[in-house]
Amino acid sequence: MKQPQVYWEDVAVGQDLPGFELEITPKRLYLQISGSQDWYPPHFDVEFARKAGHPDIFMTTGFTQAALVRVISDWMGDEGWLRRFYFEMRRQNRPGDLMVCKGRVTNKYVRDGQHLVECEVWAENAREGVTTPGRAWVILPRRGDSSA
Amino acid sequence: MSGYDIEAVCKKYIGFETAVSQGRYPVEYDPIRRHCHMVEDSNPLFLDPEYARKTRYGQVICPPSGWLAMYFASLGPWPPVFESLVPMVPTPGKRIVNMSQEVEWFVPIKVGDHLSVKRRIVDVYQKSISIDPEAVWIVSDSIITNQRDETACIVRNTLLTHRTPEEVAAAQAQGARP
Repeated sequence: MKQPQVYWEDVAVGQDLPGFELEITPKRLYLQISGSQDWYPPHFDVEFARKAGHPDIFMTTGFTQAALVRVISDWMGDEGWLRRFYFEMRRQNRPGDLMVCKGRVTNKYVRDGQHLVECEVWAENAREGVTTPGRAWVILPRRGDSSA
Repeated sequence: MSGYDIEAVCKKYIGFETAVSQGRYPVEYDPIRRHCHMVEDSNPLFLDPEYARKTRYGQVICPPSGWLAMYFASLGPWPPVFESLVPMVPTPGKRIVNMSQEVEWFVPIKVGDHLSVKRRIVDVYQKSISIDPEAVWIVSDSIITNQRDETACIVRNTLLTHRTPEEVAAAQAQGARP
């Protein structure tokens, strides 16, 4: 859900970002193929996945990135700008999991005239814990900026 | 051992740049909608032309996902005009897993933009994983530009390539044979 515009002055280090949950259902598997157009078989073909050494099929990089980016874009508002984003596909989200996506502000500062906020973002599930740690560098408007 | 020569591969491929490949179609509404749908993203900036027109962007923009930018720059057209890194870079195994991505954003991608991509190989190295002692990792940059030759984003991807357990066992059996 889209949030009201957030301003740099109002952000506190340590504050949590509103996250969300995604159930990894059979319908979600089809949605991820439609939405990511990633046709690599370990994401929908159990036998192919197992032959490669995976226990089961797992969610795609495109899907996972979209979810983690959404944690930021839901929060930062139309005037925010995701300048840089990094994430690691360490563990898997699989059918039956509840993929929980979260974020937290870890730093804020001004650099080259830009008002930056650093956040950690991650996905987790009950089976694996944190599956996909990431970091985001976001430029936020200040109150009174003419563009905001 | 498979006889794979990592030093020769590094020498030949690190620094290699592909030609620029242009996506066949411009950035369109519906792939963005499908991308949002998969993660229940209802942000009107990505979905609603009327809403977006009143923002500073003046047009629906893509969510800042490097994957979606790559889709429009390369993977959308059929037949594809984008050569995958494997087998471009020779590796013992053909199974792949994306391990990490870093995306730097410079300008927004709007509906109607026409994107292109050029890729360069940044690093290639061998690092074992539990199922394959000869797994090869490929780090690449994809530089995505728009029709004004502005760099929209740079996507750095770390790709793990590995063999199946069957392939590893077969190679080990062959190596043990007198």
